[in-house]
Amino acid sequence: MQREAQSYSYWGFAWRRFKRHRLAMFGAAVMILLILGAIAAPILTPYEFSRQNRKVRFSGPSFSVPTDPALVGQCIRPRVLLWPCGAHPFGTDDLGRDILARVLQGGRVSLLVGFVAAIFSTLLGGAIGALAGYWGRAPDAVISRFIEIMLSIPQLPLLLIFVGLLANPQVRFAAALSDFLGDAKSIAVIVVVIIAFSWMSTARLVRGQILSLREREFVEAARAVGAPSWRIVFRHLLPNATAVMIVQATLMTGEAILIESGLSFLGLGIQAPAVSWGNMLSRAQEFLYYPNGVYIAFFPGLFIFLTVLCANFVGDGLRDALDPRHHGRI
Amino acid sequence: MLTYLVRRVLLVFPTLFVISLIMYGLLALKPGDPIDEMRRGNPGFTQEDYLRLRKFYGLDRPWYVRYWRWLGQAIQGNFGPSRQFGRPAAAYILQYRLPNTLLLSGLSLLLAFLVSIPAGVISALRQHTLLDYVVTVFNFVGVSLPIFWLGIMLIYIFAVVLHGFLPAGGFATPGLSGTWPVFWDHIRHLILPVAALSSLQLAQWTRFMRSSMLEVIHLDYITTARAKGLPERLITYRHALRNAILPLITLVGLNVPLLFSGAILTETVFNWPGMGRAIFDAILVNDFNIAMVSLMFISLLVILFTLLADVAYAIADPRIRYD
Repeated sequence: MQREAQSYSYWGFAWRRFKRHRLAMFGAAVMILLILGAIAAPILTPYEFSRQNRKVRFSGPSFSVPTDPALVGQCIRPRVLLWPCGAHPFGTDDLGRDILARVLQGGRVSLLVGFVAAIFSTLLGGAIGALAGYWGRAPDAVISRFIEIMLSIPQLPLLLIFVGLLANPQVRFAAALSDFLGDAKSIAVIVVVIIAFSWMSTARLVRGQILSLREREFVEAARAVGAPSWRIVFRHLLPNATAVMIVQATLMTGEAILIESGLSFLGLGIQAPAVSWGNMLSRAQEFLYYPNGVYIAFFPGLFIFLTVLCANFVGDGLRDALDPRHHGRI
Repeated sequence: MLTYLVRRVLLVFPTLFVISLIMYGLLALKPGDPIDEMRRGNPGFTQEDYLRLRKFYGLDRPWYVRYWRWLGQAIQGNFGPSRQFGRPAAAYILQYRLPNTLLLSGLSLLLAFLVSIPAGVISALRQHTLLDYVVTVFNFVGVSLPIFWLGIMLIYIFAVVLHGFLPAGGFATPGLSGTWPVFWDHIRHLILPVAALSSLQLAQWTRFMRSSMLEVIHLDYITTARAKGLPERLITYRHALRNAILPLITLVGLNVPLLFSGAILTETVFNWPGMGRAIFDAILVNDFNIAMVSLMFISLLVILFTLLADVAYAIADPRIRYD
């Protein structure tokens, strides 16, 4: 008796191809670790991220605490030792706050911003692009022109102006937002602004997909049975563009995290006392030379880098796995 | 083709108009005006002075009236005085900030271009070898590195650990004279910022060049050339490379304006007096004129370079027809 050949669904094939991509699997694993670390942030360290402790200011990371415990707490140049010791694995900053705790707490904010901004920007861009591609002619021309204009505006300065406006307590709208959202306001502002500036690339991609899918038979069949336009777009066309959208969402996560940390670095993003990786970096600039605290800058940036790197690995793997026209073998 | 060009060029002006309107409106929404700065620095400022100065500078009119007056002057080339620097805004930006940004962005563009082409080509020709994997990993790293973090780490390594081997920032060391020392000093100040700024573009363009080259290599005419017995080098350089480079040139053209507005992070980290910093500082201290001049200039560059990239591609590839 021959066993039936095992059949795979589209997603089954995609998962098999994804598994072969070593970098992507590595990226996915590290990303999951980072997410878990961020979620479990408060219980992973004995120190709270905002607790200041003047006695242990500027203590270097564990692997650099000198053998003489009396020297802990003074401004010392970290020396690399071979065994971990000391209570602060990543050291403390200029106010004595534990950096590991801050990095994990900042991870919550940065990862949240990254994922939410990416998902909603992809959904928004996908919807607009699909509608533009489906309607065609006049509405498509208008939307495409609008996208082009939005892309010609220098984005970073416009981002700066927008976020600066919304962070300013004297602006009435911003004050109302503060009352409404409280501490979460700067996060909400960043997320909305990033979505407002990143939906365009997804829109263009999805529009291209829809334009090529529009002439297929299943669309004609749907029209023949009287399906209304919105149903054709959202129930038939868009699901075929999900591959593109999934890849975009993953890559956009990395970009959103970079934008958010860049804005926080310039002082306009997440405001202190809330922690974000970019936030930590902007204060760390002063401590490179005389109070030598390079690790205050090293660790947050390292985590930004790792997160974006993993997002890019996974996005690349997904792109290879979900694209049916891939040249390589299955 | 000509009609397409003319149409695109004519579209530049309405686009600039819309952009300037949006920018001016957004800047005007920000509370506080230039006179607040004056008031802060001068304790003898009375409310009367404030009202009088507002009337004098026309700041008591609604923003659209102010915009109209600004537009009228701007078209004639007069962008107004800069309150921060006490001189005409356009002259200040063009004389002191633009050359610095051009130098920084231009050099990083050049570096990225010159390195990414051979790297991408070699990586494509030797696909699946160790070299290819190393280049690919470098690409991923370059795309994922936050530029400001890279800048800070570079400063730490070269200026602190190596005790000032390269300067930690700024534009020049004061007190030098003589052409050769000054020139060499400028170069030293440029190395780290250019390295940091070009990292992202280098990685992106190498990846793009690699995939473009891979696509071209598998095409039929390359196989034909090989079957004809052409030497491999000729095939690579004359046939494959020439065609693979075209999409890269379009990408470069489209990315050039990004270097101008994206340089703000690098300029902040390295304290480089360029246009990105000028915009940022101007927005923070309500110096509208500087902000508008710089923003308009960058928008103009974006539009021009997009147009240039499209035209260059149309010229280079005779199959493209715009109508």
